[in-house]
Amino acid sequence: MPRLFRRVFIANRGEVAARVARTCERLGITPVFGVSEADRHAGYVRGHEQVVLGPGRATHSYLDMERVVQAAVQSRCSALHPGWGFLAENPVFAALCEAHGLTFLGPPAHVMHRMGKKTPAKRAMGDAGLTLIPGSEGILADAAEARAVADTIGYPVLLKAESGGGGRGMRVARDASEVERAFQEARAEARAAFGDDRVYMERLIERGRHVEIQLLADRWGNVVHLGERDCTVQRNHQKLIEESPAPVLAADERERALEAAARATAAIGYVGAGTMEFLLDGDGTLRFMEMNTRLQVEHCVSEARTGIDLVEQQILVGAGHRLAFRQEDVRIEGHAIECRINAEDPFDEFRPAPGVIERWRAPEGEGIRVDTHVTEGYEVPPFYDSLLCKVVARGRDRDEACERMIAALEDLVCEGVATTVPMHLAILRSEAFRNHRYDTGSIPGWPQESR
Amino acid sequence: MKARLERRDDGTLALRSPCVGLWREAPRLGSLVRAGAPLGRVEVLGRLWPLEAPPGAAGIVVEVWEPNRKRAAVDYDTVLLRLDPEAAGAIGQSTAGPDESAASGLVFRSPMAGRFYRRPAPDKPVFVEAGDVVEPGHAIGLLEVMKTFNRLVLGGELPPRVRIVAVVAEDGADVERGEVLLRLEPA
Repeated sequence: MPRLFRRVFIANRGEVAARVARTCERLGITPVFGVSEADRHAGYVRGHEQVVLGPGRATHSYLDMERVVQAAVQSRCSALHPGWGFLAENPVFAALCEAHGLTFLGPPAHVMHRMGKKTPAKRAMGDAGLTLIPGSEGILADAAEARAVADTIGYPVLLKAESGGGGRGMRVARDASEVERAFQEARAEARAAFGDDRVYMERLIERGRHVEIQLLADRWGNVVHLGERDCTVQRNHQKLIEESPAPVLAADERERALEAAARATAAIGYVGAGTMEFLLDGDGTLRFMEMNTRLQVEHCVSEARTGIDLVEQQILVGAGHRLAFRQEDVRIEGHAIECRINAEDPFDEFRPAPGVIERWRAPEGEGIRVDTHVTEGYEVPPFYDSLLCKVVARGRDRDEACERMIAALEDLVCEGVATTVPMHLAILRSEAFRNHRYDTGSIPGWPQESR
Repeated sequence: MKARLERRDDGTLALRSPCVGLWREAPRLGSLVRAGAPLGRVEVLGRLWPLEAPPGAAGIVVEVWEPNRKRAAVDYDTVLLRLDPEAAGAIGQSTAGPDESAASGLVFRSPMAGRFYRRPAPDKPVFVEAGDVVEPGHAIGLLEVMKTFNRLVLGGELPPRVRIVAVVAEDGADVERGEVLLRLEPA
């Protein structure tokens, strides 16, 4: 029986780092945090081992591969958890970890490389039996090529970062005149967020719903899925609310996609936790968009329904263990909803609101889970994304989960910076959300109608 | 690689690590360090990088990080050495910056803390240049806040036409909320 790691390096920050460390400690593993100067005094690293990687800017700290790997090695860690974001989907980083004797808690570098190149990934998934969205054959060389591809597949089109995720580095062009600007902006944002400015194009399917499938694989070829998540409530491609099961999805289409996704995961030799993202189009067909070769922000939704700790599974699988359960052992029950609470002002065009959190109280209650790095007095740095916390509510059905979430959000206290809580409450109370009358292009119940 | 210099309130100089790594061949206590002097080497992923003293560094070593280790693990910003400049008779350097208070008249301030860009893309021309005459509503730069790019647009209580006297913030600079980005005058 392979053993577990003694020390795991956490190459991430904030809520992500706090989440990973919690499972490490439960398993008796010592977490070591890599931190930037901006985070070195944050509450979530207090009392833990840490290595200062560099200045606040992520390019010189969390995104600097050599610093991160050297920090993990010299702090005597034997494995590294990349979390999500930053270097989590960088195959060079995964390979660098392995080259220096660190187990990278994610899929093998070559599989990540293949799935990270989103257009080849689409092709591979098409071969494995998944339905696709029409788009460019590969990376767009320049604005002129973007224009030519857009003219072929038809408007509106979506420009997407090849190394993207979390909705960054994406721009829409509704007609030929908008292509160049969308192309340049997508590139600039992709470069800043991921250090890679390559973009590709897909036909923009409007009025669609975003559905994704959580997958888990070991090194021995065993794959299970943990059901699907619906992430349709979005703003500018940023997910706001995720839930499971998907409220609008035919049972036979769900079965077909879950099975096909698990089969495709096995076909590419995937290891660890991963997610396949689909667009549910107007005909009720799930079309493959991309695979995220990492844990996702919203993994907690699947954890809430299955009782499986995905970080624990990543660590076990990374240490060479076989999955301890088969598909038929996975019980997917009830309904779970997650709200991402950001430091943004929903009443002022979602202006990011860095600052000091003067009062903070996280909600508690039956079926409520809160993942956060925030403590009273925490200063939200301007360098990173604005996620403050995630609230997950579980119930027997959607209505119960909604009611529990509303009660929890009413209990949440955050003073000092603006948050998106008022928007979440408006969504959860809206008739459009409760009756599924929304899609990725419109936020149900927001902005609020003035009376 | 150069160590980073910090002047401390007690008059000593701190030389800080520019990287994460294993530091070896550290100078001994009492040795003299000047700008450009070798400060040993840092091992990063198996490669050895020579480390040298930065401009402005001059003094006698009065403190060494983990002096008894052959290879000391250092973080970014770890204080490797403390120098006493007086012991070396070093010249003090003025650190006074330009006088901000002299700025009078119209300015454009950053609405948020973030990173300021003068161009829409690295290969594109700048939004505005000193001498340009613009009207409110004109984009003057991008501000990257929490990985999102925001267009900075002239607005507020300005004359209908203004001339840009100077672009104060550099391209790619981290700016604070309220920091002056542009100096303006009515045109």
